[in-house]
Order: sequence, then C-alpha cells, then structure tokens
Amino acid sequence: MSLSNETIGILGVIGLLVLVVIGVRVYIASALVGLIGLIAILGWQAGAGIVGTIPHSKSIQYTLSVLPMFILIGYLAFYAGLTQALFDAARKWLGWLPGGLAVATIFATAGFAAVSGASTATAAVFSRVAIPEMLRAGYAKHLAAGAVAAGGTLAALIPPSALMVIYAIIVETSVGQLLLAGFIPGAISAISYAAIVVVWSIINPKIGQPIRGYTWGQRFAALPGTFPVVVVIAIIFSAMYLGWATPTEAGALGAFVVFVIALAKGMRGAPLKAALLETAKLTVVIFSLIWGVLIFVRFLGFAGLPEKFTEFIVGLPLPPIAIMIMILIAYFILGMFMDAIGMMLLTLPVVYPAVMALGYDPIWFGIIVVKMCEVCLVTPPIGLNCFVVASVRPDIPLTSVFRGAGPFVIADFITLAIFLAFPEVITWLPKQIMAN
Amino acid sequence: MAGVASTGPAPEGGGALGSLDRLVWRVEQAFALTAAYCILALMLIAVVQIVGRTLFNRPIFGYIDMVEIAMTTFAFLAISYAERLGSHIRMEIVVGRFKGRALWLAEIVGVLAAMFVISVLTYYGWEHAMRAYTNGDSTIDAEYSWWPSKMLVPISFALLWLRLLVSLIGYLRLFKTPTAEPVGIFVPESPEAAAEREAREALGEGAGGRPEERR
Repeated sequence: MSLSNETIGILGVIGLLVLVVIGVRVYIASALVGLIGLIAILGWQAGAGIVGTIPHSKSIQYTLSVLPMFILIGYLAFYAGLTQALFDAARKWLGWLPGGLAVATIFATAGFAAVSGASTATAAVFSRVAIPEMLRAGYAKHLAAGAVAAGGTLAALIPPSALMVIYAIIVETSVGQLLLAGFIPGAISAISYAAIVVVWSIINPKIGQPIRGYTWGQRFAALPGTFPVVVVIAIIFSAMYLGWATPTEAGALGAFVVFVIALAKGMRGAPLKAALLETAKLTVVIFSLIWGVLIFVRFLGFAGLPEKFTEFIVGLPLPPIAIMIMILIAYFILGMFMDAIGMMLLTLPVVYPAVMALGYDPIWFGIIVVKMCEVCLVTPPIGLNCFVVASVRPDIPLTSVFRGAGPFVIADFITLAIFLAFPEVITWLPKQIMAN
Repeated sequence: MAGVASTGPAPEGGGALGSLDRLVWRVEQAFALTAAYCILALMLIAVVQIVGRTLFNRPIFGYIDMVEIAMTTFAFLAISYAERLGSHIRMEIVVGRFKGRALWLAEIVGVLAAMFVISVLTYYGWEHAMRAYTNGDSTIDAEYSWWPSKMLVPISFALLWLRLLVSLIGYLRLFKTPTAEPVGIFVPESPEAAAEREAREALGEGAGGRPEERR
C-alpha cells in the first residue's frame, strides 16, 4: 500500500459518511470501514484477526450490563401506571400556575425521566396521557404538543439514561459519575421549561389557563402513586453516592421494583413478553452499535487520525471557548439529520480527545453532548420527539408541534450558556461523590 | 407468538421465499426470547446478589464472571431478530425518499456490505471461540469456561447471515420486478412512519399487537 495511514484514515471517514447516508445500518457501515481500513494498514490476517475478536471482547464488559436494566425499567414503567400517577400528582400540585397543565406535564415528564432512559418513549407515553387533558382544558394545541415533545428530552439527562452510558463507554469515563452529574442539569432544564411555559402563558393567557380548585387532601392523596418513582431515584442515587451497589445492580433493583408493581397492576403474559422482547431488541441494537463503532475506532487509532485532529484543534489560534462553541454548532447541524446515538458514536472518537486536550472536563463534556443531542430531538427537519407527538396525535399537525417546541429550544440555549459559563453546575455533584 | 407477527413476516404466502422467511423468523424469535429471558434472569440474579451481600453478607460466588459470560446472550442472540424488524439504526432521510429500483439497489448494496462484514466476523468469531475451547480459557475468579459464551457470537452472526441472504433474494426479486409484492424484507419507512412505530411500541402496542388482542 502506497497510501499513508492518515490518507487511509481520511478515506475511511469519507467512506463511512457515504455508506451511512445511503442508508447502510450504522453498525454495519462502521464495522465494514473499520475492517477494510485495518486490512489496508495491517494486512488481511492481522487486520481481520483483530476485528474478529472485537465484538465479543467489547461486549462482555460488566459495566455494559447496566444497559438492559435501564431499558427494561423504561418499558415496564408504563405498565406500572407511573405515567398517569405522575401527571395526576403534578396537575394537582402545579395546576394553579399560568399554563398550569403544561407546567405539570414538564414536571411529570421529569419524574418519568427518573425511571426511563429513552426520550421518544417518554414523549409517546405523555402524548397519550397529558395532551388530551390539556386540550380538554382549552389549551392551545401547539403549547400542549411542544411541552410533551420538550419534556420528553429530559429522559436522556436525568438518570437512568442510556445515552449517558453509551457516552461513558466510548470515552471510557465513569458511568456512575456521569449519571450523577445529570441530576442537576436535568432539574435546571425542567425548571427552565416550566419558566418558559409560565412566561408564555402570562404574555398570552389564552393559550393555557390555570387549573384551580384542588383541596390539600386531594393533593396529598395523589402522592402515593408516584412513590415507585421516588424509590427508583433513591435506589439509583444512593447506590452511586454511597457505593453499596454497582450501576447494574442498582438498575436491576430499580427494574425489579417497577416489575413487581407492574405485576401487581395485573401485567401478565403477552404484554410482559412484549416488554421483555422490546428490551431485548433495543439492547441488541445498542450493543451492535457499540462493537461496530469500536471496530471503526480501532481503525482510526491505527490510522492516527484522532491525534492529528487533536493537533489541528489545539493549534488553532482561537480560545478554547470559541472552539467549543464551534463544536456545539457542528453538533446542532449534524443533529438535525442524525440520530443521537449514531451521532455520538461517530463523532466522539475524534472530537473527544481534542476537547480533552483543550482542558475540558470529561463528565462536563458528556452532559453538554447529551443535552445537545436532546435539543436536536425537537428541531426540524428531523426532530424525532416531535414526530412521535404528531403520530400519536394525528389531529395536531407536525408544523404546530415544531412551533410549540420552539420556545423550549430557546430555553435550551440559555441552559447551555449557563453550563458553558458555570461548569461547576455540572461538575459539583460528581466531585462531592469523589470526595466522599 | 401472536401479535409479534404484525411487524414480522406475513403469516402465509410469498412462495418458497416466504416459507424460508418464516422458517428463519421462527429461529430468530426463539433466539430473541432467550435473550429476553436472560435479561429477566440478570435482573433477578442481581437482586439476589444485593440481598445476599447486604443482608446475609453472602455474595454469590463468581457473580461478575457469571454476568460477563452471560452477556453474549443479550448482546448478540437477538441481532437477526432486530434486523428482520428493521430496528438497527440507520439514516432514513435519503433512502426513505427513494422509490422503486433506486431504493432496491441501495438496499442490495447495504445487504452485500453487511454480508461481507458478517462473513468475516462469523469466521474469525468462530476461530476466537475455538481457540478458547482448545486452550481451555476460563474466567479469573470462578474459572468458568469462556468458549460457550464466545461461541454464541458466530452462531448469532451465522443466523444473521442467513437472514441477510433471505433479504438479498427479496431485494433482487424486487429489483427485477419492482411491481411485485415485497416478500422476506423489511420495507423502509419515512422518518414520520418510523416515529409512529416507535410511539406504538412505547405504548406497548407494537410487539404485542393491538391492545384488544393482548390478554
């Protein structure tokens, strides 16, 4: 081979982009490019031999076993009746605010996010539960739809979060610390969304009237239904904080609690099997992506591309914050067209070392990237959460879902600016744990 | 398997290819169900481990080894099942707009790429497992043998390869006669349709059939 390794690396990146754009599955495209690239650099025997061991060796890491547990919790939570219970409680406690039902929706999705790691699933479930109630109370369709679409994005920020586990695996940082780091940014995001709803409803009171008239008795009576969520949060938080269980064990215990409640609510046979099969399906999809992309990453490493990119980035005559903002803009544009997991897997192997060389914190950057991926779920043209809402509610046009989500995107940009200006907001909690 | 068929192969028809599709699908369902029950087992074992360790100070011996060995079940067994349901992540934005021969050609390219990768991975995955078998590789703590775990990888890949072959025949047939009824393949969806399916699945209606069918 007369080509230099770097040239092969760049050709590989281009080849991968072409394959992904023409619709080849991301795990196949990245494994194929990685395989061919490694063979080009190392020869057939060594190249294919290395690739042959990667799927098994990269999949059997104990930390990865947390993924099916988190996914299972999310699938079982709906059957355990947690959605309805959370929305009911939030409505009774927060309905009196301007745009009260939409505020309630935001906090109910935040609560559900604490048992669910998937944004689209959260948006789907609340489209069914919260939108009918809001429309019945005379709320504007775009506010109702936007609140659900935006609220759904909280699932990836508030632990358990599948996206964060994937980030931690790619960049080899601590899963537990990253999950803990998500609590405060998740809460800030939820509060900023609620603030947007309140301001919006004060400016234009027609779109969302306050809901009053609940007694304190009714309010307290609504609380026990949300208890399982509190238990799951307590399990995951305390396990990470006090270290009495690994993330997998905490996830398993959380799943077990929700499982028992779902059984108590009468979940049997077919729905149980369906939930388990859905969990198995999503699990294998994520594992395939992990080993597929790690084959590509191994090839990039041999080609020396991450070092070259890092040298280039560090050599730029710009302050780190300017480079960071450019990276975020690139993610924003990419995210308009790509799925969050795919985007992270394809960009992080090259971008992450450069960001570290600029002196940023790995946990902080993880939260920023996840937040960025979530913003992309509610921006056109490809905003999966908005698609989900529009498909559950065919009476609400997609354009009006996107319009309703718009103000929440503004809130997201303000939140991101806060994270950029005050990184301690993200890093404080995990640092406390480290000190512990 | 009532209900699951609503997103898998048609229950009948399609001639020889249809029958082959359903035959592979039966194996895929069995593999996926095994993976699903292994996830349930992982949950239960972890709970037993926590209770045993914290309450009785008696952890399960070789627990982490056991989990790592068992991970290949849910990391690989359902790979072909997910392929048949079109669940593996890809960018639909371009290919979702293709129609007729252009679409089938793009799919044929994708399947051929996949078949090449999976052939190599099956062969070298098998060698990797056989090496573990002949060397008697085992885990460090509990000294469980590695080879059955490693063997699940080429087995899952071999089934996926068979699935890809069925898809290839299905796509070639449609490339020849674009007006024919699709058999043995997953028909790609627009992003909107994919979102709708995700919504159904999240609400427990996708894999479980319509709610009234679930008992």
